[in-house]
Amino acid sequence: MGEASTQKHISIKVQTKAAKKRKEILAIIGFMTPALIIYGVYVIYSIFMTFYYSLFDWSGIDNNFVFQGLENYITLFQDEVFWESLGNNSLLVGASLLTQLPLGLIMALLLFSPIKGIRFFRSVFFMPFLMSTVAIGILFIFIYDGNFGLLNALLEMIGLESLQQAWIGKESTAIWAVIATVCWQFAPFYMILFRAAIVGIPEELYEAASIDGATAWHRFKNITLPLLMPIIVTSAILSIIGSLKYFDLIYVMTMGGPNNSTELMATYMYKQTFTNFNMGYGSSVSFSMFIIAFIITLFILIGERKRRGVE
Amino acid sequence: MIKRIKQMPLYVLAIVLLLFTGLPFFIMVNTSFKSQLNFMTSPWSLPESFSFSNYGLLLEIDFFRYFMNSLIVSVLSVIIVIVIGAMASYPLARLKFKLNTPLFLLFMVGMMIPIHTTLIPIYLLTINLGLYDTIWALIGPYVAFALPIAVVIFTQFMKEIPKELEESAKIDGCGHIRLFWNILFPLLTPAVATVAIYNFIHIWNEFIFALVLTNSSDVATLPLGLREFYGEFTINVPAIMAALTLGSLPLLLVYFVAQEKIVKGLAAGSVKG
Amino acid sequence: MKFRLLLVFLLSLVVIVGCNPTNTDVSTGGENEPENESGNDTETESGSESNESSEPEEDVTLTLWHIEDGPSGEAIEAAVDRFEEKNPGVTVEVSQQENDPYKSKLVVAMGGGNPPDVFSSWGGGWLEQFVNAGQVKEITNDIDQDIYVEAALSASTYGEKVYGAPIGMAVVPVFYNKEIFADLGIEEPETFDDLTAIVETLKENDIIPFTLANQSKWTGSFYLMYLAERMGGPDLFSEAYNRTGRGFDDEAYIEAGHKLQELVEMEAFPEGVNGMNYDTGQSRQLLYSGKAGMQVMGNWLVNNVRDEMPEFEEKLGFFLFPAIEGGQGAKNHIVGGVSPVFSVSESSEHQDLATELVKELASLETSTQMANTAGDISAIKGVEYEDPYVQEISDVLESSEAMQTYYDQTLPPELAQVHLDTTQALIGLSMTPEEAMAKVEEKAKELLD
Repeated sequence: MGEASTQKHISIKVQTKAAKKRKEILAIIGFMTPALIIYGVYVIYSIFMTFYYSLFDWSGIDNNFVFQGLENYITLFQDEVFWESLGNNSLLVGASLLTQLPLGLIMALLLFSPIKGIRFFRSVFFMPFLMSTVAIGILFIFIYDGNFGLLNALLEMIGLESLQQAWIGKESTAIWAVIATVCWQFAPFYMILFRAAIVGIPEELYEAASIDGATAWHRFKNITLPLLMPIIVTSAILSIIGSLKYFDLIYVMTMGGPNNSTELMATYMYKQTFTNFNMGYGSSVSFSMFIIAFIITLFILIGERKRRGVE
Repeated sequence: MIKRIKQMPLYVLAIVLLLFTGLPFFIMVNTSFKSQLNFMTSPWSLPESFSFSNYGLLLEIDFFRYFMNSLIVSVLSVIIVIVIGAMASYPLARLKFKLNTPLFLLFMVGMMIPIHTTLIPIYLLTINLGLYDTIWALIGPYVAFALPIAVVIFTQFMKEIPKELEESAKIDGCGHIRLFWNILFPLLTPAVATVAIYNFIHIWNEFIFALVLTNSSDVATLPLGLREFYGEFTINVPAIMAALTLGSLPLLLVYFVAQEKIVKGLAAGSVKG
Repeated sequence: MKFRLLLVFLLSLVVIVGCNPTNTDVSTGGENEPENESGNDTETESGSESNESSEPEEDVTLTLWHIEDGPSGEAIEAAVDRFEEKNPGVTVEVSQQENDPYKSKLVVAMGGGNPPDVFSSWGGGWLEQFVNAGQVKEITNDIDQDIYVEAALSASTYGEKVYGAPIGMAVVPVFYNKEIFADLGIEEPETFDDLTAIVETLKENDIIPFTLANQSKWTGSFYLMYLAERMGGPDLFSEAYNRTGRGFDDEAYIEAGHKLQELVEMEAFPEGVNGMNYDTGQSRQLLYSGKAGMQVMGNWLVNNVRDEMPEFEEKLGFFLFPAIEGGQGAKNHIVGGVSPVFSVSESSEHQDLATELVKELASLETSTQMANTAGDISAIKGVEYEDPYVQEISDVLESSEAMQTYYDQTLPPELAQVHLDTTQALIGLSMTPEEAMAKVEEKAKELLD
């Protein structure tokens, strides 16, 4: 509890201080209990069970649990497809950070610029995130098609026939085609997140700056960006975690093919669990994904704390 | 005049982004007015003749029941998430205690677990709670798995609210409950709007929990109902696009209302400031 | 102090959390009884008493899960109606799902100990997983085996024991566009050389020889199955699968892989086959528009045509995949499969009633309706076909000397997956036949030996 503020009120008796503390504890418990109960019952329990299953050789459909300790994890370490999918996930993480966040920020800033019909722009910019993944998946299968696809038609229009190809039919391009679609889908989410944060920046700060004759770029660099930093860090964490367990579009668009070139950890886990009847092994993939995401998040949070400390 | 020219690049950028973000939505709507044959022979053209027959097909599959089920589940889940999520964020963001960081992390880990291997435990849990094949079977997991992102975003935004506001309220003798509801929660409006949009869309489109935790068509949500357009070997693409177009309208509405609210919140905030 | 309180709180949370896993163990770990208990809660509250006697005195609800849609779905509903009429007081709750979601849903329900009383499958390796898990009731003596086509029933027979009753069958010919063949003066091929000559002719006329949507994988598997059979003869697969002779890395398989890659190198398939999806219609689009000349596909293609572009049906012809000179296979050895197959859950509380339901589903009446409205070939003897096209396909099946069931349905799922993946890689030219077949054999050794 804030030491500084309590010291300020030295005159207040010790008794009231204790009462205040008790009140605060009650507040903490009261405010957190509903969330913790429902969260514990479903999520914490699920995480625990995922780990539990990962210790068994279990098909998922019978009562034949064979305990085998960490053997699933040892197999996993030697599993080429898992490493390949981890690699693909890393590409997705990188691409998401480098495109979703900047694109989201640009779109968010654009919404504050004095262009006409801003409501219309605001609605259309958000549409990728609003479309169902099934719709996006089916449409982009057709857009990327090698024979009558829209993308190839557009390339022809601007005279780049040489680039025409079957985008998701080739191992070399499939992963990029899918990643581009995922980034396209999620950029608008960061747009609204950043917009909500920019709204919270006090107008006076900008007013003071424009009196000083700062250019738009300076205002952005010296006021907007620093104040947005905490939300950018949060966005980065959301984006990384989201990319690490991404599943939906791959499932609709490529099912991990061709030849595992678009396999992600989550689609691989799904195949092991539901197609190959390896619930135990699938759970170990799940739990590994969990651990990876956890470690990365921890690093970011520690880094962020240090950064704040330096400032 | 000079101002106009200066704004030119902005307009160009905005229009490029407009095409980039809006084209697939346009294609979806466009396809929904086509016959299957028309789509098969020329997928990108405008419809040969505008036909609402795909929308007529929706009547055959009980579209409105699925729609209402989805609406009830989504609205209830989102409201619960926002209320209990914001409540949980209050101690995490504004009160200092020893378990602050561990509890925050505890909420964060919920985002990291892939849901597919949790299906069997949650299925069992749902049956044991006697909720199987009811809409409550869905609301539980939806709320629980939406909580992490809500708590993370709320905590983040609540931390940014200036401490002075709170101090003055405390001097006025505000308790924690009044402080939270009357002062902090209204200031969270932009974050609430963001969290509401995010989770509403996710829950609206959620498929796998709905597949596993419900069985009868009385409680089926829209994503399940849409599967009726999937044949064993074929998908009726235009019909699905019609359903998805109609299904995305509430999302558009939620988004629009939420964004207007942010603008209003902004105006109110500046008056106060 | 606050610390202690929080600790207490967290501990109680742990208790909540900790309790549930034990519950789980009870219901999955214990044999049948706890499973039935959880089944009671949701399925049949009133019917639980009538356990001992198969004649229900009170109302009983049976659950039926299947994947048939359209006219076949209606045939299932009709069978359910007949069953309900014959068994007053019994209600059947029917749930129809699409292919992939159905598989996940059934796995979770089986794992959670609350499966439907009756469920559908394709027989083969997938059903065998559930049989091995002790989840499927044996119905060898409950059904009249003589009414079924032998090849169909064998898909759900494991070591003399029958676990499912089939309704329909399908075969895989080579479909072609008669108009294109006539315009270019092409005859139906007798040998593989004829076929490659056709490929050349079509290429010269800017027509894609075979349309194929191989993101779906099972589509490309047809080509490999045929080439392997034509090279190694009808016993090649069963020897490899039953581990009684040649393996999956046999010379015949490798040669089949080379032949497949030759076709790819001749550009017999469209650009980017591995990214095209069968369900969304990308491959059929090429066929309908006359951009492609042929497609190796199950006879359900005709249903797709009737739905999507009825006027194309008159242009649609078919022939059987030709023999390869020097190979051991023959032109009238066909690839085919069985679907749907209905089985009873071992943990069903009303096994006898459920078996009756299966018999009603897999009956002459159902299969006749399916044949005449959905164009399926019957797995039950004695159906009179009204549709000349289905009759024709059915004749092909009857006159065939051997039927190879689809690998991906026959093999254990994990091995099937390797077969599908490597075949896709072969078609993508990212694996040599030797590598691909060695991979399949390696997995086969792990799972089957």
